[in-house]
Amino acid sequence: MSMPNTAVGHDVPRIDGREKATGAAAFIDDMSLPGMLYGAMVFSDYAHARILSYDTSEALKLPGVKAVITGDDFDAVLGGVFLKDEPPIAMGKVRYLGEPVAAVAATDLKTARLAAQLINIEYEALPNVLSVDEALDPKSTLIHEDLSDYFRLKPSSFEGNILWKASISEGDVDQVWSDCDVIVEGEFQTQAQHHLYMEPCGALAKPEQNGGITIWSSCQSVFIVQQKVADYLQMPMAKVRSLVPHVGGGFGGKGGLHIQTLVAKLAMTCSRPVKMTLTRTEDFEIVRSRHPIRIRMKTGAKNDGTLIAREIDMVLDGGAYADESPAVLNWAVFVARGPYNIPNVRSNGQLVYTNKLRAGPYRGFGNPQVTLAGETQIDEIAQKLDMDGFKLRQLNAVKTNDAWIGGQNIDACGFDACMTGMLEATAGAEAEAAAASTSNKRRGIGYSALTHMCGIQSTSAEVHLRADGSVALVTGVVDIGQGSNTILSQIVADSLAIPVERVSFAAPDTDSSPYNWKTAASRTTYMSGRSVLGAAVNVREQLFTHAGEMLECAEHDLELREGGFVGVKGVADAQLSFAQIAGRAMACVGGPIAGTDTLVFDGPTLDPKRAIVDGFAFTNVGIYTFGMQAVEVEVDTDTGEVKVLRVWSAHDVGRAINPAMVDGQVHGGVVQGLGLALTEEMVWGENGNLINPTLMDYKIPGILDVPDFIQSIIIEAAEPTGPYGAKGMAENSLVGIPAAVSNAIANACGVRLRSLPFTSERVLRALDAAGK
Amino acid sequence: MKYFEPTSIDEAVAILAREDDARCVSGGATLVAMMNADLLSPSTLVGLRRVSGIEGITKNQQGLRIGAMTTHATIAKSGLFVAGMNVINRAANQIAHPPIRNMGTIGGSISHADPAADFPTALIAANASIEVSGMDGQRLIPADEFFLGYYETAVAENEFVTAILVPKGPENAVGEHVKVTRVDGDFATVSVSLVLAFNENQCSYARIAVGAVAATPLHLDEADAVLTDSALTDEDIDNAAALLVKASDPIDDVRGSANYRRALIPRLLKRAVSLLKTDA
Ligand SMILES: Cc1cc2nc3c(=O)[nH]c(=O)nc-3n(C[C@H](O)[C@H](O)[C@H](O)COP(=O)(O)OP(=O)(O)OC[C@H]3O[C@@H](n4cnc5c(N)ncnc54)[C@H](O)[C@@H]3O)c2cc1C
Repeated sequence: MSMPNTAVGHDVPRIDGREKATGAAAFIDDMSLPGMLYGAMVFSDYAHARILSYDTSEALKLPGVKAVITGDDFDAVLGGVFLKDEPPIAMGKVRYLGEPVAAVAATDLKTARLAAQLINIEYEALPNVLSVDEALDPKSTLIHEDLSDYFRLKPSSFEGNILWKASISEGDVDQVWSDCDVIVEGEFQTQAQHHLYMEPCGALAKPEQNGGITIWSSCQSVFIVQQKVADYLQMPMAKVRSLVPHVGGGFGGKGGLHIQTLVAKLAMTCSRPVKMTLTRTEDFEIVRSRHPIRIRMKTGAKNDGTLIAREIDMVLDGGAYADESPAVLNWAVFVARGPYNIPNVRSNGQLVYTNKLRAGPYRGFGNPQVTLAGETQIDEIAQKLDMDGFKLRQLNAVKTNDAWIGGQNIDACGFDACMTGMLEATAGAEAEAAAASTSNKRRGIGYSALTHMCGIQSTSAEVHLRADGSVALVTGVVDIGQGSNTILSQIVADSLAIPVERVSFAAPDTDSSPYNWKTAASRTTYMSGRSVLGAAVNVREQLFTHAGEMLECAEHDLELREGGFVGVKGVADAQLSFAQIAGRAMACVGGPIAGTDTLVFDGPTLDPKRAIVDGFAFTNVGIYTFGMQAVEVEVDTDTGEVKVLRVWSAHDVGRAINPAMVDGQVHGGVVQGLGLALTEEMVWGENGNLINPTLMDYKIPGILDVPDFIQSIIIEAAEPTGPYGAKGMAENSLVGIPAAVSNAIANACGVRLRSLPFTSERVLRALDAAGK
Repeated sequence: MKYFEPTSIDEAVAILAREDDARCVSGGATLVAMMNADLLSPSTLVGLRRVSGIEGITKNQQGLRIGAMTTHATIAKSGLFVAGMNVINRAANQIAHPPIRNMGTIGGSISHADPAADFPTALIAANASIEVSGMDGQRLIPADEFFLGYYETAVAENEFVTAILVPKGPENAVGEHVKVTRVDGDFATVSVSLVLAFNENQCSYARIAVGAVAATPLHLDEADAVLTDSALTDEDIDNAAALLVKASDPIDDVRGSANYRRALIPRLLKRAVSLLKTDA
């Protein structure tokens, strides 16, 4: 069958691009409903305290105030994914400064905020546990006294303020250190990074006549919002409808709940719609952050460059609640070996509570942190062996049909192609950098390899054929700005040989969309792409069945023709339009044509004969992805300022369904990675107060900090199970950047930084310490 | 909140005198942001945009008169800042980013008196004076005496800034402004404004002001004296910088530690000197 290529592989413009570029696209804060009230919150003044009493009387007296809620108004339900430890609003205790303790709904925002100030809460202060060292100290105050009673999805060890431990080991690390000719060892510290999506979190809830509630919110999954709100409010999911307008970015920060439960509760309390959107400062203070991780790593190799051992010990600072931290811990422990065949590996991780904002999923999911350590050590080994870093990486690189740590087979591996592509792209760059260096402006190039994954959890899709031959795609997938509405529409258009304009993309709605887990883990193109393709192929099969009957020929004599036709091979004028077939199905034979597909990622899991695994929050993941990144920096050795001049980013995407969008992900991930590498850091003061919750004090790269030159190098090693061979790549472009920047600084001026971010002050301190 | 838009200096002064807790609003870049963040809630705002005679740059015998309402962008693009006055132009070019430069005014910037801002040091290096208007007419305050503390100036309660007077200075002088920031568009971690004149290879005139290392811009006659009549060797610069470091009183904050700020003083001074040497 000839398959005309109408869409896949082309830079199809975003189907919502015009709306967004003109400002017409509506986000939560643009929405309003008749009779709508505005919400505001009261935030804890303490990082750790017992709540003794609430006095809401003054607030309730204020004209315009319609509802005030506190922990007393909720059932004592704890939520969480792997560990259920988080109440819907502070109950009994506050565990971080800024934690919501009460909420108000009023006729206007000003009144709501004023009322919030009138709420009096009495606390009894408890000792704060703010650092990882304090948290690890068995004598420190417990942040969760009932940790041992909490529901735990998977077994794992825990003690004191350590809520989860996870480890994996293969081979016998202890035995082989003496066989190593070269060993490098180091401690790395990473920081809390804010997601800083353009749109702060917000939600709008409307009570329904049937006792239910409809919630619109800025989120990464309508289904997760539905499930969690229903759980907190002890309502059947059938009574909680979750919807989403356009979303202005997520990066993991909107992967779980933020204020949806509070807004829903307020709306139900006063039987009116309530909207609340966070200010930027509130968003900084109460949503989530990337995990700070302290990583001790040791890597050993033979003189010929063969890596034979790696040992990792890490502690993740999870903040006040578990959120998805056990999974982040799990992934960081799992991926710390890197994309290399290292026979002896032991990777240990601990996750601690501290009295700070919860850490949660964030583009890379713990991987950028461990990649910083791992790829620094690859360069250090290469240096010690006086060997080229590329050669060392190539020598040890995993290849197709090698095993991932734990034994899963790598079915398609474009890692070597990424390295080759990078070598070509950066040919001559090191010489150029050296030549352009002056005594106080040192240029250097650094590289980082990376690996990630994209197969996880479940999804489903429906494709409906409409009367005129258009199709409706219904998926439950939330496009958070990355472009999945377009990618998934392209897959349908391509597989049915119709223009993208003939595919409508249904907005996710828990009342009518098939289930999809969430927009996370670089999974949408791979996972939802598979189910969307399955549903479209299902429609194609039904079209062929009808056409065979209508044209009185065998199905294998039929072909799909560009523009929505099924024709008889070799007979140009024997064809039927999709509209004709739809007409027959709708009016006479078989009923309306609809295709569905549903799937869960159930690849081979870990092999217990090969690896000893403990405390893993998940094991059902796979489809590994690979990349290679390079950064050119110029270090001002007088001031420590680091300027990024060029970035190259090579990713094995399996198949680029939309190359322009791959490039877009590369540009975005690179810049977010540069922020992580150089400037971004959430800083907490002695009382547990976030010192820099504004864009004046917390700095992301400005447009002039972004290099003009960011080259995306697309490698396509088709994944056999992927839609058109595609794999995920959205997190990948961030993962290697901190490591590449670190290696570039070392290359430029010979100093090694091991604490993120590499601010000009830290660079200067390192230069001074090294006497450079 | 009451809002007025006077059309003359006298009218503005009268409103400031009459209304309690009245504040001028010029570009609003800082004031409105502070109001939005609930840091300020003035009961009266006096918009200066219609006040005549306080906008634009005019050349006169003595040098330049910059109206208080002149935006950073206008100053940044102006060709009138010749000789050492150029330090002001260079500072304007490095304030924030284009939207802020289009909004913010020099009068608003210096009245706000953020020690990390760029104009205060530039005006001191240029030896400028600030014209303020009040009920009793106008008075001139040398830039050196204008900044009294964090966000505190010598402008009295019912006065407001109407212009900045910049003397031409030595004809052969050159001016430069340098700053270290965390990212593009940020306030300075440390900044240095410098005006120098050369006589052959000798420095014949020097005026240095350092920003963000104390509550007010740091200017020391002794430091200027070290450079004046010197050959501007690294040693001369270090000696001048050492005096400035000693007189500085920097704080630790998210932009950098006090130690880092002290370390930057000699390094930025060197950067400014070397840029000016290539200019001259
Ligand atoms: C994102 C951002 C980045 C910035 N980065 C920098 C930077 O890098 N460098 C820098 O120097 N500045 C920076 N600024 C500050 C900017 O330059 C402001 O424009 C300036 O500080 C205030 O000017 P304005 O005209 O907007 O003043 P307004 O906001 O109108 O007023 C500021 C204050 O001065 C008072 N005031 C205003 N005019 C007068 C007057 N004529 N007489 C007496 N009092 C008056 C007001 O009452 C108010 O208290 C930044 C600002 C922002 C928002």
